[in-house]
Amino acid sequence: MTAVDHMPSHDDDKTTQPGLRGDAGESLLWVRDLVKSFQIRSSAGFWRHEQLALRAVDHVSFDIKAGETFGLVGESGCGKSTLARCILRLLESDSGDIIFDGADLRTLSRDDMRAYRRRMQIVFQDPYASLDPRMSIGETVEEPLRVHGIGDQTEREARVDEVLSLVGITGDQRTRKPHAFSGGQRQRIGIARALILYPELVVLDEPVSALDVSIQAQVLNLLRDLQQRLNLTYLFIVHDLAIAEYFCDRLAVLYLGAVMEMADRETLFHNPLHPYTVALLSAVPTPDPAAGRRGKRIALSGEVNPLSTREGGCRFRSRCPIGKDRPLCRAEEPPLTQLQPGHWVSCHYPGELAPR
Amino acid sequence: MISFLRMRLAGALATIFGASLISFILLRVLPGDPVRLIAGPLASEQALEGVRRQLGIDLPLPVQYARYIGGFVTGDWGFSFTAGGPVREVFASRIAATAELALFAFVIAFTAALILALLATYRRNRIIDGFVRVISTFGLGTPQFWLAMILLIVFFEQLNLFPGPSGRLDASTLAPPRVTGLLTVDSLLAGRWDAFSQAIEHLILPALSLGFVPFAFLVRLLRANLLEMSREPFIVVVRSKGIGYWATHTRHVLPNAFLPTLTASGLILAELLTGSVLVEKVFAWPGIGALVVDSILRQDYAVVQSFILLTAVLYVGVSFLVDMLYGVIDPRTRNPVSQRG
Amino acid sequence: MRAVRGVSFEVRRGEKVGIVGESGSGKSALALSILRLIAPPGEVVGGQVWLNDRDLMRLREREMAHVRGSEIALIFQDPMTALDPVMTIGAQIVESIRKHRPDVSRKEARDRAIELLRDVEVPLAERRIDDYPHQLSGGMRQRVVIAIALANDPPLLIADEPTTALDVTTQAQVLDVLERAVEERGAAVILITHNLGIVADFCDSVKVMYAGRLVEQATPTDLFRSPIHPYSEALLRSIPDPARLEQGPLPTIPGAPPSLANLPAGCAFEPRCPLGRGVAICKNTAPPVIPIGQGVAECHFAEERWADNETMRKEAAADDRS
Repeated sequence: MTAVDHMPSHDDDKTTQPGLRGDAGESLLWVRDLVKSFQIRSSAGFWRHEQLALRAVDHVSFDIKAGETFGLVGESGCGKSTLARCILRLLESDSGDIIFDGADLRTLSRDDMRAYRRRMQIVFQDPYASLDPRMSIGETVEEPLRVHGIGDQTEREARVDEVLSLVGITGDQRTRKPHAFSGGQRQRIGIARALILYPELVVLDEPVSALDVSIQAQVLNLLRDLQQRLNLTYLFIVHDLAIAEYFCDRLAVLYLGAVMEMADRETLFHNPLHPYTVALLSAVPTPDPAAGRRGKRIALSGEVNPLSTREGGCRFRSRCPIGKDRPLCRAEEPPLTQLQPGHWVSCHYPGELAPR
Repeated sequence: MISFLRMRLAGALATIFGASLISFILLRVLPGDPVRLIAGPLASEQALEGVRRQLGIDLPLPVQYARYIGGFVTGDWGFSFTAGGPVREVFASRIAATAELALFAFVIAFTAALILALLATYRRNRIIDGFVRVISTFGLGTPQFWLAMILLIVFFEQLNLFPGPSGRLDASTLAPPRVTGLLTVDSLLAGRWDAFSQAIEHLILPALSLGFVPFAFLVRLLRANLLEMSREPFIVVVRSKGIGYWATHTRHVLPNAFLPTLTASGLILAELLTGSVLVEKVFAWPGIGALVVDSILRQDYAVVQSFILLTAVLYVGVSFLVDMLYGVIDPRTRNPVSQRG
Repeated sequence: MRAVRGVSFEVRRGEKVGIVGESGSGKSALALSILRLIAPPGEVVGGQVWLNDRDLMRLREREMAHVRGSEIALIFQDPMTALDPVMTIGAQIVESIRKHRPDVSRKEARDRAIELLRDVEVPLAERRIDDYPHQLSGGMRQRVVIAIALANDPPLLIADEPTTALDVTTQAQVLDVLERAVEERGAAVILITHNLGIVADFCDSVKVMYAGRLVEQATPTDLFRSPIHPYSEALLRSIPDPARLEQGPLPTIPGAPPSLANLPAGCAFEPRCPLGRGVAICKNTAPPVIPIGQGVAECHFAEERWADNETMRKEAAADDRS
């Protein structure tokens, strides 16, 4: 077990917790100190192995205001999808609070949870895998209504037509099966399915990653348009930083299950303080040959290694361009600290590595 | 790995226990009275009582079961009244015949399936592939005894290429001294070439009849796996290195396609080893299959129970071996986790 | 159905050429056609591929097998499925070396494989060489795939979406490795991608593919500053750009790419084109290949647009000089 308890004490001073500020009343969702660990088997050979508990989500706290788009960015394996699934209680978390519109979701019974589940929906990454190939798209979109026992047949059909037309699918296409649709259209259908229950919070799990550039733009426009029309709140999971910058109001950068940096878009992309954020941003190739990005790239050595959280100290240390050999980084996990209003960083030497 | 072994062992024991319990109960609730069969229709009530006591079936059922399991573990498998000897000896004298036939049939079926599937899928050869598809469909629908009869009529009666239904050796040939019980092996050990070639000749027709269905099944499975693997992206990469079609097919497509057929092969071998009643009957093969059918008809509890239990042990053993084999030959099972710290 | 239709281009020694297109544009089919590895029932129905002074399409299969891996090598898009799962990575590299140089001993080939793994920056290469693919991360596997492609120092590498499945940081590492490797060896690269950022970053020239044809070929600077073909322009404009966040929704390309089985008579982009939609010539006549600047474009408006962009290019050139 990882026994290192690296967050500052969680109980005495609540103002050091993002999401529990004075104005938290506006928040639709607060996540506080959320932890989710998985047991993994690590083998030292054919006959020997040991059980390890690794925290996929490690004391994560943030809040999302109503109508806002909150982005979770990070490399694969950083825990962003696990975190989202814990919030929707598709996965049970180990500890922490998930407060949605005043109710702590973690403590709700299955029955009580049903009412909240209607208000929170998810759109998945893969528009090919997430639709049942044997169901017509009308049935797929209608299914949540039937599951929740809403309306009679005519009412349900009217609502399906309404939501399909919202995402740009015409009513006469509703009897077709998913294979008759392109990737972009399938993603629209996935969005319609998520919207049919009129949710307030929609988790978008890499909704455009599998799509071509021109289709990506169409879906992003649609999502933004729907957000304004239906007053939706988005939790947007994304690994493409260009899309993150374009689409999100505030973002958290995750590394190995913990928040490295959290700020509004402007601050995060123009004044990043955590060396991981800086390196991540520098690695994105920009579609401008004159930018000469290659010279500006800050190369991160090595790869994400989940076992590095077990060594204590900063979890990013082994790949950090500035902290690799510093005693403080080896000894202590830096706390997530608010350096400017709304700008949270978990680093002993914030701002030292400047974007070039 | 240790905990995996422990789980497997527990599962295996549970399976065997379940099989023993079901066979024990089933045989006792079935109608019919073996005691009457043994003692004869005119025996007195007293005589029947005596037989019951002798067989131990006057005791309460749980006690009977306990004695049966205890006996099985210690090697006392009971007494077969139809064969007139201890069950263990009866089995021992017949199991080698079944095993030799089964192994022979398996090797034929497996080799033929492998070669034909390889040729059928190599560059999508339409002629061989069509032939394989027809023969496998045919094979899956062919009754064993019918095939056995046809083979006998054609190759023994008409062409006289192979010996008829006369058991494992000609009647006039002396069996080699028993070492393994497998005549082909024993005759080689004894340097008896005549017995060896005769044993092979006697094996061919029954092995063909017995192996045809498993062959049809395996060739179908291998063909499907080979086709699937030949469409895998890594095959394009191998070809882009300049590796030729045939080398790609045998060195890369085949090993990957072979792995998923291992389980099926193991189960087929286990099935063959439990003996085939009809084929053994047609070829007068002195194996297990014929013995078991006779015992069922005569309600010879001890033989049937032991047979069911042995079958369970065999299946469990084979699937355990197959799992171990995966561990040895599939690198993904051998070293499951990538982290090296 | 034709996935690739009348595509012509040349690659010079040491040049890094980018081919950009969306899914279904035929870019992967083009790569496999050059290697003559199109899986049946697909086939290359016509055309020539000249490597130095030989037409690869007219070689016998045996000769072609010799070209693959030694003169043209492929870097495959998905590292997770590009390697044989039951063979060690070392064996897979050695296989490639010994296929083309049978005189090399096993020991020498193994040493060479370790060296190659070091070249592509696989740490602890001498130990990793006996690993199986599943023991490596995606980034490491893609390095192994690159090592296999480099095994015989081929003068031409075709990289089909080499970093699509990877994270940005890993993508940056892999592109660095690839760039260094080809520069040291003087190899030419055809980089196929949908990521315009990578093209801008990596390539000396760009070709934009749409519905099986190269609709525009240009230098990255020309293409990104002043795209000639309306499709290139639309593609560039649909990349999310936070700078134009306040200007309303992202520009998109209406409609969907045409089905390759049912192509329009004229320009394939006409039904979606902001300039040419409904224009008679675009509808009825397939546009010719028009030389423009240092490249070519297949658009009836190409010359007009090039002239319009003249001032923009001059300003940009002035910017670059300052």
